[in-house]
Amino acid sequence: MNDGRMMEKLHNIQTTYGYIPENEIEKLADEYAMSKTKVYGVISFYSMFHTEPTGKYLIRICNSLSCHLNRSDDVVTGVQEYLGVESGETTEDKKYTLEIVECLGHCGEGPVMMVNDKIYTHVSKAAALKILKECM
Amino acid sequence: MINVTIDGQKLQVPEGTTILNAAKMAHIKIPTLCYSEELSIYGGCRICVVEVENERLLQPSCAVAVKEGMVVKTHTPKVREVRKTIFELMIASHDLGCKLNCLTCSRGDNCDLQRLAQELGIREIRLNALDKNMSNDYSSYSIVREPNKCISCHRCVRRCEEIQGIGIFTKANRGPAAVITTFKNKGMGNLECVNCGQCIHACPTGALHEVYHYENVWDALHDPTKHVVVQTAPAVRVALAEAFGEKPGRIFTEQMVAALKRLGFDKVFDTDFSADLTIMEEGTELLGRIQNGGTLPMLTSCSPGWIKFIEHFYPEFLDNISSCKSPQQMLGALVKSYYAEKNNIPKEDIVVVSIMPCTAKKYEARRPEMTGDVDYALTTRELAMMIKEVGIDVLNLEGEDYDKLMGSSSGAAVIFGATGGVMEAALRTVYEILTGEELPGIDFTPVRGIEGIKEAEVKVGDLTLKAAVAHGLSNVRRLMNMIRDGKEYHFIEMMACPGGCIGGGGQPIPTDMEVVKKRMEAIYESDLAHGYRKSHENPEVQQLYDEYLGKPGSHKAHKLLHTHYTPRGL
Repeated sequence: MNDGRMMEKLHNIQTTYGYIPENEIEKLADEYAMSKTKVYGVISFYSMFHTEPTGKYLIRICNSLSCHLNRSDDVVTGVQEYLGVESGETTEDKKYTLEIVECLGHCGEGPVMMVNDKIYTHVSKAAALKILKECM
Repeated sequence: MINVTIDGQKLQVPEGTTILNAAKMAHIKIPTLCYSEELSIYGGCRICVVEVENERLLQPSCAVAVKEGMVVKTHTPKVREVRKTIFELMIASHDLGCKLNCLTCSRGDNCDLQRLAQELGIREIRLNALDKNMSNDYSSYSIVREPNKCISCHRCVRRCEEIQGIGIFTKANRGPAAVITTFKNKGMGNLECVNCGQCIHACPTGALHEVYHYENVWDALHDPTKHVVVQTAPAVRVALAEAFGEKPGRIFTEQMVAALKRLGFDKVFDTDFSADLTIMEEGTELLGRIQNGGTLPMLTSCSPGWIKFIEHFYPEFLDNISSCKSPQQMLGALVKSYYAEKNNIPKEDIVVVSIMPCTAKKYEARRPEMTGDVDYALTTRELAMMIKEVGIDVLNLEGEDYDKLMGSSSGAAVIFGATGGVMEAALRTVYEILTGEELPGIDFTPVRGIEGIKEAEVKVGDLTLKAAVAHGLSNVRRLMNMIRDGKEYHFIEMMACPGGCIGGGGQPIPTDMEVVKKRMEAIYESDLAHGYRKSHENPEVQQLYDEYLGKPGSHKAHKLLHTHYTPRGL
């Protein structure tokens, strides 16, 4: 058994489908001769893997210490109000999924926000909403 | 051998011995929680930490092997202080708060946390309880999970995976969000859980328990329009006394029957009777399959955990399972037909209750293809609760006998409760039917004992009958794989729980291999004490065929006593 290779496969699956569907989990369980529950345990350890489909735009906002000191709270509440969803939820039109996360690796430039693979730094509430509105 | 000093005691222990076991050899008990002798080492709870000279950090004694010259101190002030703090942290995640949940908890009288608190000398809990605010899992017919009581010791995870080979539980998420859960939190009833209840035996808290049906049984007993009939499985009689403080291994049949009569059941019948009947039907089916080129090997069908297991994991083998209902279902079906007709009681007015060592029997009783045979399946533990609730001094009761009609049994029936018993019972009868002679040495020892997979060959006339027995689903899985890979047998007994029904998920807590062995001795002792040792000698079974069913495998027998299975997959 090689968990390292399982991680690689999980990444590939998520890149392909945008999330990790159940039938893919079942295939991995077969391949690694473990229960699908155990594979799910591995997946759930990593917060950036998803087992449910996400919206077209995955919005991640950092709310850990350095972003928080730069008022990321304002960004978080602003975005939550605008989208009408809490962390981990997807808007009804399946356009946005919001995730409040711990650190996106740009601690000197907070608040930090990510839309799919793109990083935005020094984000204010107004800037965040503008970014969201520009998502087509 | 390794030289080690534990709390000043010098001793020699074999290489590879853990500090925990070495201490045991020195007659020192180190407190444990996530540790279980029957499971792999997890080392997660840290209750068993000890001081090791020249080590900076405390070491988990369950997970660290002794080294030459090691000096261990197991109960220093530092160790005791740390253990208490760890315990307080653990308790803070155990939904204690002010809900007084010890009073209403399924494990109120045998909780590992309470025991541990006493062992550690806990006198205060400084932390507020954390409300995990998780909802209970009521999705299963058999088992309830209360995740707020879970302390993440991983014992259920390991038992399900290692002993039962299924793996219904996992630890999900990370850090403070980490929880024990099922696949995508779907709930035990929506997954390949087979309802065996071994997780209940693994759990140190009340986070897992059976779905209680005894309140429904009280209602039926107090409803004057209902005629309530109870049956008791073979394995219950050798375990029930433990719930009243007796040592494992006491045969308690007659007192149990007396207690059931005092509880107000109108008739007390014996599932052993229908175990004998099962042998008649299953034996006939086996002979038919052998003589007419039917599907072989034939697999037994008594254990509902095993049945759900094969439906999920080996659906291609469903034709191999005997079509016989389990003894529980057979007796239920007969109470509502044979007994009802004989006594002119409308079957709608009859409530059949079964006392089972098993949680999966609750699911079996609800299977749509057999609905109505059995109304409520209670565990051995639930029966103990009922007896306690009305204050029956069961240990000192004068024994009573089962009621006539379906109360007699042979020794072959009582051994159904132990792994290998169904096989031995079947061989005693099949051998005699085929050869006209008694099975040589009626005690068929090759299929007895706690070996995971047992095999035997018996010369029956011209045929060499190849038999195998497996218990504990990881052994069952191994045997199924052997069959899939072409190994040939005629007849196989499969039991979901380690040790067979005596180790069932509904049995008194604790149930471990040591306890199971004691119950097993009692089972074989009970077999010897029976006047009849073979199922076909049971006079009431003979009467049933004469008066009602005709002969084994008849049309009527098929209608009442046989069933079919459902492929479920994963």
